Amino acid sequence: MRRLLAGLLAVLVLAGCTARPADRPAPAALAGGAATLPGPVPADLALRPPPGDAPAAPAFTGGLTDGTPLTAARLWADRPVVFTFFSSWCTTCADRQDALSELARRHRDRVVFVGVAGADQADELQDYLRTHRVEYPVVVDEQQTVWRSYAVREPPAVVLVAKGGALLRGWPGGLDAAALEQRLGELVLAGSG
Amino acid sequence: MRLTTSARHGVGALAILLLAGAAGCGGPDAGPEAVTPTTVRVLVRDINIRAEGVDCAGTGPYLYFHHRAPFRVLDPDGAALVTGTLPAGTAVAAFDEDLGVERVPTYCEFAVPVQVPQRAGYRLEVAGRPALDLTPDTSEGPALVAVVPA
Repeated sequence: MRRLLAGLLAVLVLAGCTARPADRPAPAALAGGAATLPGPVPADLALRPPPGDAPAAPAFTGGLTDGTPLTAARLWADRPVVFTFFSSWCTTCADRQDALSELARRHRDRVVFVGVAGADQADELQDYLRTHRVEYPVVVDEQQTVWRSYAVREPPAVVLVAKGGALLRGWPGGLDAAALEQRLGELVLAGSG
Repeated sequence: MRLTTSARHGVGALAILLLAGAAGCGGPDAGPEAVTPTTVRVLVRDINIRAEGVDCAGTGPYLYFHHRAPFRVLDPDGAALVTGTLPAGTAVAAFDEDLGVERVPTYCEFAVPVQVPQRAGYRLEVAGRPALDLTPDTSEGPALVAVVPA
């Protein structure tokens, strides 16, 4: 009987050691990490056909802010993708980011926004993403290899890729949200341009 | 209390040292060194296509010239006279010619107001990279200027 009680006690103690106390919050997900990846494509998504002579967008795989790998071609396999090249220290990026974040929310799952952060510090990047409510995936491009593959020399820059991977347009110097929304209507979203 | 001869010598030496130290502390105060306001100007000649007047960073190998990048103004001995972070750069036209388009070849210019003491020369270090020589220039007010690449 004593052995049985000792065993029960040991199990209870171990359970107490491994369970998370009810008042301790779960660690917050990093902004720009896996939790921001898009959901299924809406069934009613209607797209314009890309021009036949458009070049292929450079394919890449990069790590998100939480290390989750992101393969660009998997995203553009079933919907258009907007790449926003930026840095947390970029003043023009910050000036436009709130409206771009809102535009991305409005088009969530229909057009995927992906941030590509270069020449940045992890803590400053997180501050930027939270301050500007960036709720889409963000690739950390520390050595600017993705930047270079898209000929981005400084932030901001925006690139639009059609479903299937055709490189539609790039805007060195970036675009504000209103101009980008107009371009999305003209170039990819059927019935809205 | 009686002191030996050698102890008396020791006490005497200590008193002299204390007096010398006190004289040093109470002597004429040099005060803070006089400083002169000037502007550190850096022109990054990256010939990037931008709209004139927009905020910019250096491009390519000069990307480390950007808003919030740490800098130090050094004297010839390497002592830091001023530390701070860069503001955003401003795009300035690379060529004095109307190309008839909004986006033109530009350089990225940084201007940082600083106050420095008089020295024989000054150098600018940005983001821990090798320091650049700063040259006095008064064509647009007092300034210390550098051009990258030199």
